[in-house]
Amino acid sequence: MEKTTVDHKDNRFELLKELLLADDRKDFNILRDEYLEREKFKVKVAPVVDEKIEDLKENFPKYFGKTITETIKIQIRDSQDEVVEALYPIMGKLVKKFIIAEITKLTESINQTINDKFSISQIIKRLFKGKRTDADDVLQEVFEPIIEEVFVINKDSGLLAGNYSRGNIADKDMVSGMLTAIKSFAKDSFSKDGQDIEDIKFENFQLSIQNFKTIYIAIATSGVISSDFEEELLDNINNLAEIILRDRSYLTDEEKLNSIIQKTLIKTE
Amino acid sequence: MIAKKVLLVGNFGVGKTSLIRRFVLNEFSEEYISTIGVRVSSKIIKIDTEEIKLLIWDVAGTSADEKVPKAYFLGSSAAMFVFDLSREETYNNIKNQVDIVKQLSGLGTITVVGNKKDLVTFKEIEQLKKTISISIDLITSAKDDENVEDAFKELAKQSLN
Repeated sequence: MEKTTVDHKDNRFELLKELLLADDRKDFNILRDEYLEREKFKVKVAPVVDEKIEDLKENFPKYFGKTITETIKIQIRDSQDEVVEALYPIMGKLVKKFIIAEITKLTESINQTINDKFSISQIIKRLFKGKRTDADDVLQEVFEPIIEEVFVINKDSGLLAGNYSRGNIADKDMVSGMLTAIKSFAKDSFSKDGQDIEDIKFENFQLSIQNFKTIYIAIATSGVISSDFEEELLDNINNLAEIILRDRSYLTDEEKLNSIIQKTLIKTE
Repeated sequence: MIAKKVLLVGNFGVGKTSLIRRFVLNEFSEEYISTIGVRVSSKIIKIDTEEIKLLIWDVAGTSADEKVPKAYFLGSSAAMFVFDLSREETYNNIKNQVDIVKQLSGLGTITVVGNKKDLVTFKEIEQLKKTISISIDLITSAKDDENVEDAFKELAKQSLN
């Protein structure tokens, strides 16, 4: 009797399950069918997709190259500022690279000079050299100062009395005349209390002018002019002027004057 | 060869630069004249057997012009005063102007040249010679290259005195 009661209970439970879960079961069956369909589709489609991807990888430039180029062109045309901003750091890097290369060359040259300077013989020489600094020495050797032109000019007339020229001046008499004119112009326009023009600088050249009673001496130099070189040059100019002014025959004998210019100022040659 | 500094003075536009251009080959840019008021040109000229290198200082304007540094006139061996035969204002005050050049340069004689002969008639020149306060040494035409070399030869001769 008791068993009948249990069976009866089981039937009721099954009946209740059917009543309550009918909809869920239906949804479950739909989802399961969909999943199974997708799995079937995946198995069929995946090889085709893989094949297409491989094809794209291999032939991307062919399929899209033209379109991308066109797009970039349009983008550059329409967004020039942005493009410049994007390129600027790259250009900056290139310029920086060039400057670094040039500085490296210069550094190597300076290092070479420093190495030479610190050889035993040079160290001994330095012990006796006085107030000259290493920087002066290095700069002087890297950019050696050279006397390019020397003019001894009559102060009033601007006529050239004698000269030395390392290069080839087309008409040194005309240059002397114009130099005198420029000097007179500067003196007349800007000077106070008899001051006179002393230096003219242009790119690689420096023109130093030393004024004396009846003559002036103009010297064009190139390279780096150290204070030591300048001092020595000034001494030599003063010596030359003293020789000329003590013996005025130098001013009427160009050959004699040219020879003394060479001897006093261009000692190495 | 000796070198001599000679001056070329006269009012603006009388043709000094044209005379120089006719006569010399070596010259600096004309810009110097407007910048510092002078330009130096050179020319070698033969007088008898002697070769002279003339360094011609083409001075802008007249000596009376305060803008021209007086130093330009120093140390010169000869000077030429140029005026325009076709423009009265360039010779109205010529005696005074020539005297100033003499005073500044220390020269006793100045060569007076009337330029632009091509713009006036013979009759007009004769009339001008009668009325002008100074004697004209040469009549030139830079345009037609007339008497230009003679004028500079005269200047060179003067520089040797």
